Amino acid sequence: MVTPDLSVSLGGLRVKNPVLSASGTFGYGIEFAPFYDISRLGAVVMKGLSLAPTPGNPPGRIVETAAGMLNAIGLQNIGVERFIGDVVPRLEDAGATFVANIYGKTVEEYEAVARRLSEVPSLGAIEVNASCPNVREGGMAFGATPEGIARLTGRVRLCTAKPLWVKLSPNVTDIAGIAKAAEGSGADAVSLINTIVGMAVDHRTRRPELSNVTGGLSGPAIKPVALRMVWEAAKAVRIPVIGIGGIQSGADALEFFLVGASAVQVGTANFRNPRACIDILEGIETFFREERIACLEEYRGGLKEEKTP
Amino acid sequence: MPFDRPRFLRGRILRNEGRGEIFYRIEAAIPEPVRFVPGQFAMVSGWPGNDPLLPRPLALFRAGGTRGKGKIEFVYKVVGRGTALLSGLHPGDPLSFTLPLGRGFDLGQEGRTYWLVGGGVGFSSVFPAAAVLGRRRAGFEMFLGARTRDHLPPKQWTPGGKEPGRIHLCTEDGTAGFRGRVTEAVLERLRGLSPESVSRISILACGPREMLQEIAAAAGERGVPAQVALENHMACGFGVCWGCVVAVREGEGTAYRRVCREGPVFDAREVVW
Repeated sequence: MVTPDLSVSLGGLRVKNPVLSASGTFGYGIEFAPFYDISRLGAVVMKGLSLAPTPGNPPGRIVETAAGMLNAIGLQNIGVERFIGDVVPRLEDAGATFVANIYGKTVEEYEAVARRLSEVPSLGAIEVNASCPNVREGGMAFGATPEGIARLTGRVRLCTAKPLWVKLSPNVTDIAGIAKAAEGSGADAVSLINTIVGMAVDHRTRRPELSNVTGGLSGPAIKPVALRMVWEAAKAVRIPVIGIGGIQSGADALEFFLVGASAVQVGTANFRNPRACIDILEGIETFFREERIACLEEYRGGLKEEKTP
Repeated sequence: MPFDRPRFLRGRILRNEGRGEIFYRIEAAIPEPVRFVPGQFAMVSGWPGNDPLLPRPLALFRAGGTRGKGKIEFVYKVVGRGTALLSGLHPGDPLSFTLPLGRGFDLGQEGRTYWLVGGGVGFSSVFPAAAVLGRRRAGFEMFLGARTRDHLPPKQWTPGGKEPGRIHLCTEDGTAGFRGRVTEAVLERLRGLSPESVSRISILACGPREMLQEIAAAAGERGVPAQVALENHMACGFGVCWGCVVAVREGEGTAYRRVCREGPVFDAREVVW
């Protein structure tokens, strides 16, 4: 039987398959080396990197919710220099295609991180985090309006020749307009959705469960919202859309392809099953084989929207 | 001490029994044997459905088996939705395990008498250490604390139980052993010893946070080294979600360290209580 061609181009980065890890759920990739060969993934997307190491939020960072979880980690990370010095060589040794997710408190900080990372030849792409809900400055503050996204994307665009992805927040009114703004300012791809802002409280202690009070909701609970937003964004732009949100199985990933995603990122599922990305990849391959689908492009965007009589 | 790289294994429940409605002991078959250091843990999941979503961290209680056939055991108490669900599972039901995880107890300190302190279900981390020390014929004493006699671990679960005198039982209501909290028993025993004897003691403790904090304070005052096994809510258990951090002293300030990776066992002096 013919092996289906799952390769896809994501805004200038050609990946061997459309299964990627989602930033913030995969550490720096090398943590998964005991579980499988991470070079099997289309790409691994790094935990959000800032210019300097960031301590993150105080404990009380996660809480489980119905079919999901809230997190308010606050982007704890080792900073771009330690990433380049310590992590990049290990990712290169592992043969992984890797993408850096970047974050700054100011546009200038985003620019500085992008510039520094552009000096890493093996880096596959830069994903701009314009959507973290758990930090007071930066993150979602830039991503909430088309003007904010356009300004941030345009400025980072001038700092790097790497493929530039912009990760979008679902906490907006018009995702299509936001996606278009990113495209119009030089993004090579958009990835969505980041987490949905939520909250959990304890009725006995009368306190919020998270030290940050609010956090980002992820997991299967958000999949319908993610699917709808990817569908809207994919109709609005010509650049590739990378679907994220509650993907746990090959079938979940296929649904995102149907509504127009060129690839998917797998997040919270990695927590429950460290091999989730591989299980999802194999699920997609099996389905394509069974349905005799030769390549991803043949299936992508094939949602039948007309009503059946 | 040897331990294995973490693995993700699918298994099946062999036994899942409650004892006195308080502790459950679950045994599962896995495709290969694992070795672990006492204090290490596993993330347990694999029940059907998405709710509860996240795996649950459980201390590794026993592991064994031969090539191609492994067995693991855990002890747990029903504290929330995850453990309640776990307690309703039957022999034959599937479960998944990511294991062994975290940094366990350092049992390699030469010439030390170990004091193993377990509060509540904390004995589940302490018993494996006792088993290792017993096999090695190293000196140790065990302090087990609980609310009542019924909340103490069943006698037959106790490793090295044939040698009385080594185990100090404590109950808050006085229904068994020393009446009072386990930390008080530890303090009283410390007071009765010469400075020279005290200087040979090394404490390993697992239990409620308040208990560990008191042990840390008592040990710190007398210059006794203490290792404490902490607990926290975890999403992944292997260092990628950064959800389970605790504050530890680092240089002049503090830093957040992962209970699942840099812990669960920490030097009691490091922890910012």
